[in-house]
Amino acid sequence: MTDTSRIRVSIVGVVVVALFSTLVGRLWFLQVGSGTVYVEAARENSVRVVQTETPRGRILDRNGEVLVENRIAWAVTVSRDLDEESLDGVIGSLSELLAIDVDILRERYDDPRGSRLAPAVLAVEAEVPDRARVVLQEQGESYPGVSVVPLNLRHYPHSTLAAHVLGYVGEINEDEMAEHKGDDYVLGDTIGRAGVEAAYEADLRGVPQSVTVEVDPAGNVVGDPLEKAPGEPGHDVVLTIDEQVQRVAEESLVSAILQAREVQNTDYEAGFATFAAPAGAVVVIDVDTGGVVAMASFPTYDPAEFIGGISEARYQELTEDESLFQPLLNRVTQGTYAPGSTFKLVTALTAMEYGYRGPDDWFNDTGSITVEETTYNNAGGRAYGSVDLRRALTVSSDAYFFELGRQFWRTWRFEDEARGLAMQTVAGQLGFGAPSGFELVEAEGRIPDPEWKHDFARVLYDDPQKISENEIWYPGDQINMSVGQGDVLVTPLQLANAYAALANGGVLREPRLSVEVRDSDGDTVRRTRSKRIRRVAMDPYRRQAIIDGMVGAVADPSGTAYGAFAGFPLGLIPIAGKTGTAQIGTSDDTKGDTSLFAAVFPANAPKYVAVAVVQEAGFGSRVAAPIVRRVIEALYDLPISPVVVPHGEASD
Amino acid sequence: MVGVALPSAAARPPASATAPLRHVDWGLLALPVGISALGLLMVYSSTRTRLAGQGLSELYYVQRQGAAVVIGIAAMLAVMLVDYRRLRDMFPLLYVAVLPMLVGVLALGATRKGTQAWFQIGPLQFQPSELAKVVLVVALAGYCHSHRGDLDVWRFAIAIGLAGLPIVLVLRQPDLGTAIVLMICVGTVLVVAGARGRHLAVMVLLAVTLVGGAVSSDVFADYQIDRLTSFLDQSTVDTRTASDAEYNLAQSKTAIGAGGLTGAGLFEGTQTKLSYVPEQHTDFIFTVVGEELGFLGGSLLLALFAALVWRIWRIALLAADLFGTLLCVGMLAMFTFQVFENVGMTMGIMPITGIPLPFMSYGGSATIASFIAVGLVSNVHMRRFS
Repeated sequence: MTDTSRIRVSIVGVVVVALFSTLVGRLWFLQVGSGTVYVEAARENSVRVVQTETPRGRILDRNGEVLVENRIAWAVTVSRDLDEESLDGVIGSLSELLAIDVDILRERYDDPRGSRLAPAVLAVEAEVPDRARVVLQEQGESYPGVSVVPLNLRHYPHSTLAAHVLGYVGEINEDEMAEHKGDDYVLGDTIGRAGVEAAYEADLRGVPQSVTVEVDPAGNVVGDPLEKAPGEPGHDVVLTIDEQVQRVAEESLVSAILQAREVQNTDYEAGFATFAAPAGAVVVIDVDTGGVVAMASFPTYDPAEFIGGISEARYQELTEDESLFQPLLNRVTQGTYAPGSTFKLVTALTAMEYGYRGPDDWFNDTGSITVEETTYNNAGGRAYGSVDLRRALTVSSDAYFFELGRQFWRTWRFEDEARGLAMQTVAGQLGFGAPSGFELVEAEGRIPDPEWKHDFARVLYDDPQKISENEIWYPGDQINMSVGQGDVLVTPLQLANAYAALANGGVLREPRLSVEVRDSDGDTVRRTRSKRIRRVAMDPYRRQAIIDGMVGAVADPSGTAYGAFAGFPLGLIPIAGKTGTAQIGTSDDTKGDTSLFAAVFPANAPKYVAVAVVQEAGFGSRVAAPIVRRVIEALYDLPISPVVVPHGEASD
Repeated sequence: MVGVALPSAAARPPASATAPLRHVDWGLLALPVGISALGLLMVYSSTRTRLAGQGLSELYYVQRQGAAVVIGIAAMLAVMLVDYRRLRDMFPLLYVAVLPMLVGVLALGATRKGTQAWFQIGPLQFQPSELAKVVLVVALAGYCHSHRGDLDVWRFAIAIGLAGLPIVLVLRQPDLGTAIVLMICVGTVLVVAGARGRHLAVMVLLAVTLVGGAVSSDVFADYQIDRLTSFLDQSTVDTRTASDAEYNLAQSKTAIGAGGLTGAGLFEGTQTKLSYVPEQHTDFIFTVVGEELGFLGGSLLLALFAALVWRIWRIALLAADLFGTLLCVGMLAMFTFQVFENVGMTMGIMPITGIPLPFMSYGGSATIASFIAVGLVSNVHMRRFS
């Protein structure tokens, strides 16, 4: 052997050592250095969890009345393990038995939303007559792979009652899956989409039953399950809602709206027109607990339409067809309205607490005030003469509050900016302009101030000229705000909650829809107490002055709501009320005013607040107040008086 | 490498002491038998569930592979009986005998996965390219020996021509993997035989051109090219959109990686049991070792291969003549490259080509040819004093 060869054989040896070292190094990296990455990948490859939903929890009212429960529906399913030939055979014979077209059954089998592991649902409910069920159970061998299984579907014993409170359920979609990552949802699972169904999804859903299996690359289950977990049925949610009060609130809202549609809108000068009254809302709050006793929104919808999936066309109709006025919207929490005179609560509190005007100071109401060449008139142009706070609230003297608005503006402009914006501060403390922390989806509303106006002009306009005209905080902005007009927007829930703070002596609470969550044995899992948000500064004497003024509005013959409560046993249950009639749009009067009423009762020891709002329906005293009256009657088991919306002239 | 004591020519022992049977390297013989035993176990593990699922005997592949191992051992022993130097003189005969087989398979062979490389004889298949590896090493070693390693440009050209013919035929099948193994063996033999540097450079260029040309021509189907290139980008493998090759590689790495340090245990690998790795009993047999026996088992197997290669390397240095050395070096290159390429591809550091793991992968021709190769090396060892 030559030296060259010897050296070259040695070099070959070095190369060999290098190659083997590389292999061992790479092996170490994959098996030891990579941690559990590949172990998890392998598990993801071959282990599947097949989930079956457990019965969803029920929703009960405060007295245990069932508002939503489950009902069993029979479903025909077919196994995924059949080969093509037997599947065709089975679909053929099922088509005959159930009288459903073969193509439809095939389509359901192939529905991509279904799991490849769970049996395919081919027919549900009415499609499975009792006769067919018996045949399938007794002659199972002629229908290989077919099972008749019970499905749990939502059932609404009170039909559409409290639809906006309860919400509805649907089959989970990809977006919701992503949102609930980690909660073990699988496609096809039921999920709450709105209302309590969505807010208490985690409680209502329960823990699905799960079976862990191994699958081969084709997705077929191999061998016995690795693991079985029985799951747990969903928990029941007990609401603060009182089914009976809720029913009266809804019925009164509907009948007031229907009657308002027959009444002439006398503000409309271009010809004869009745009020459109397309929509409205009612809410009742327990002032000590924040519990919502009733919550009605019109127009409403039928949650049963969503069982087993709603068609895309119908859903689009419900959300986009303007003639239906968005029935899915819960106007108590999502509707925003100019509060009109009901907002004078904020103006009055500000005037007293910030030393602008005491409750006993007299003001001469001449029917209007004029500021920088603009005249602000009382409704109907009436002059009330010498009024104090109580009187101003009772008769709804706008001039009294206009003048306060002017004082606020002057203070802001020439003296003390912060004190000049005290009304905005008080409104914020009473919960306006921000979500209240309620369980359901809420709109924020809006409390305008100079900074907002500056920014909003830039949202509305591009033209610098226009911006400079519209970015200024004019006296009119503050004056309009002092009577709940202009750019102020509130939700009925915010309004009710602010009055609740007045009623209970100054404590603003988070409104609540539920009392507690119970397990399927009826034992309490969790109490859902309302949180106290803050204490709002409120001198007892001044607070009483506001309540007295509101009592006058209901009980005094010159009060704005006197007519609406004619015949009501006010001696038994004194009521403090405030009407509101809010104009929408300033340039023309094609749209009727928003009708509002807020009541605190019993006025001597307040327990509840009720607020009614009806869009484009005219005076608050005529439409909203009669609704609230009936709700109060229902709360105190009084005979329910008929809703009568009066025609003709009235004042607010 | 330096610690190997070489017997000096002056101290030649007496005739009885040089009898070939007294110089059998038992370690060399034991290693392939041991690796084969492990291979049978791994073939069994990777095929039993699938076979049972098809209603076949769980032992179907094991029995066939077992028969190949027995035949291989017999062939190995048979090869040891005749002095390897007799081959030295008859290498042209062997060379000429194997060429018609390579040509014939292109005309008459059975096609599997796009490659026409097998003669189908009843229930048996024979893959001539496996035999060609051994024969080409013998032939080239014989040719170089006949010129005492003095390779001028003409002799080098002839050697390249001798090697090139079967390589081109194998490429025509097309079987790129085997062709590259042949090139590596030829290259290593020529390097050790004493080829000149610039000649070797030309040879490398030639090999690269040949492979490049074959790959860019239409001899290979797209999916075969895919197999080659899939290892270059492994960052994102989405199993829903991955090509077969990407899927194969991802599953292969997953199975090995899932084994961890100690493995899932024999017959306990889920990826193996549930057939997640395609071709697992043949080209991807190492994934079974990786998943079920873990890093300990995998590195043990690599150690066995390393030991086998070390014994061959040692014999290359001990050989009595240049032919023996070149024979050993050729076989060494064959085993080393096949192990590196096969195990490397399952771990994503080499392109996927259809090369079996010697003694492990299911496949009769390769197993028998590998045993014959070891028999030849053993032969060189036994007769190093005679």
